[in-house]
Amino acid sequence: MYRIRFHGRGGQGMKTASRILGTALFLEGFEVQDAPRYGAERRGAPMFAYVRAHHKPINERGIISRPALVVVSDDSLLAMAAAGVTNGLTAATLLAVCTTRPSSFYDHHDDLKGQLILFRPPASVNGHSQLSSCCAGAAAALLGIISPANLAAAVARELDALPPERIRVNQQAAATVFRRLTENGAFVREGADQVRVKRPHWLTLALDSAALAAPAIHAAATTLRMDTGLWRSQRPEIDFDTCTCCGLCNIYCPDGAISLGDNGCPAIDYQHCKGCLICLNQCPTGAISARPEAAAHETDEVEA
Amino acid sequence: MSSAPQKPSSQPLGHQLAAGTSTCAGCGALQGIRLVHDILDSKVFFVNAAGCMTLLSIYPFTPFAGAWLYTSMASAAAGGQGVRDALDIMLAGKRLPPQEDMQVVVLSGDGSAGGMGLSATSGAMDRNLDFIYLCYDNEGYGNTGYQLSAATPHGARTTTSTSGNPGYKKELFDIWTAHKPAYAATICGAEPGDLRKKVETLKGIKGPRLLLALSPCPTAWHFEPADTITLGKLAVACGLWPLKEYKEGRLVHTKVPKKTGRRPQVEEYLRLQGRYRHLFAPRRNDRVISEIQNRVDRYWEKVTDEG
Repeated sequence: MYRIRFHGRGGQGMKTASRILGTALFLEGFEVQDAPRYGAERRGAPMFAYVRAHHKPINERGIISRPALVVVSDDSLLAMAAAGVTNGLTAATLLAVCTTRPSSFYDHHDDLKGQLILFRPPASVNGHSQLSSCCAGAAAALLGIISPANLAAAVARELDALPPERIRVNQQAAATVFRRLTENGAFVREGADQVRVKRPHWLTLALDSAALAAPAIHAAATTLRMDTGLWRSQRPEIDFDTCTCCGLCNIYCPDGAISLGDNGCPAIDYQHCKGCLICLNQCPTGAISARPEAAAHETDEVEA
Repeated sequence: MSSAPQKPSSQPLGHQLAAGTSTCAGCGALQGIRLVHDILDSKVFFVNAAGCMTLLSIYPFTPFAGAWLYTSMASAAAGGQGVRDALDIMLAGKRLPPQEDMQVVVLSGDGSAGGMGLSATSGAMDRNLDFIYLCYDNEGYGNTGYQLSAATPHGARTTTSTSGNPGYKKELFDIWTAHKPAYAATICGAEPGDLRKKVETLKGIKGPRLLLALSPCPTAWHFEPADTITLGKLAVACGLWPLKEYKEGRLVHTKVPKKTGRRPQVEEYLRLQGRYRHLFAPRRNDRVISEIQNRVDRYWEKVTDEG
């Protein structure tokens, strides 16, 4: 059985990637499962989707804990333990990461088990990234059991709500990465048919005490310890030469990540700003601009 | 970047809700709830029906300084009754000083408010429960990937109405006012001035009080998170989301949009959202677009007739 996991951020299209790969495998004659992890759907937050393919009916259910292939659409997730990208990786796992960083950047990631394969994100066309097709193409190449024709057909089938021109651009993005990674010569090894689980003799399901089943939180405002700023892909920045300190950004920020100081002027809390850019859109004097988080991060590092 | 200039101290909104919750970036519901909470101030006891705002408090994290109780989707208003009764008993027994009394606020999405939670809510109104019912209306079951709810508008695509909702949005505001509650109002976080007046008003009233907040949802409605406020303002300006208030048995529209022909067409609002994309591509569906427009126009004609 082939077990594949896609990791990305909500909105990047990894659920779609899993569907494209699933459909391509189905067209190749496999029995297929593809599903996103059920959970609250949040843009920017880490998510994963998984695919199983087998030449016999699949009785296995639930999330994949021992993947043969992991595809990552966003390289910043590698540093986030909560994203669980490296969960269950072994030396035999292929870990394919979509990144613009040079391979030397990953040399000191000692904890990355498995064989690391890097591929570049596709160029955006009219503001649309083809990230889902690209990641599905990468997975298809590394599996080595999907024909280019079936990959293209799967892209068309899963994206049929889009205009024909965008489907074509997506097929190209999938084909480009497919060609490049096929040349690479690294292929996924099929996993065991079944994950062996030792059948327990007897299970006692104890009733949880009320304190466990309905826990109470006694401290206030503990969410401040959550670094939701890690979700951000664009960083808003205030130009105080243009800012009139009207306070609208403070009112419109959903997260309360903009506060007004003693002088009445706004300050952005980057530990919690999710980068929605409502502030940029609503600022009446255009005093807020956005920079890609990766670029802003590099400046931070230089300044530090 | 230059440094912040000095300015005489203005009155900033104190943030009652801490940052760091895991609602989506650009969440219109959270933005509205934040404003309401800031105006209600700190002594609030939230009773939260399961829904998107389940994400506010995930053990061991909470954004609240006050209290929060989590209930099933159907029973939030009943939970509100229990909390109100407990507070009243403690007040009567002098176990809680009067200055530490709390406002009970039921927090619920439209799926619970207009569907399975309606029975408990209706009962709470029958008993004249002293509580605020804050419904964040994102017009579908947002937390589970956007399925059709009773509040989904006509024509909108959800995962369970893939060619557009054939039905019509259930009027929760009308259902409430039919109960003759102490207070009811529609609000939107994109209209903070109107919102502030209404929340200030309801603070001084006892009994069942509704705040129905239009809550644009970038994730489910398929628009850029940066456009949440833009869409809220547009929904009000084009007449699709009437801002109104019911008080002492009288209904008043608090912000009447411009006359037909002079206000933005609903099309402008619909076009910004992926959930209506099928109305414009591959072929334009004039029948549904003009039906939505006509319903809005008819609504406001009636409002003018009544003066």
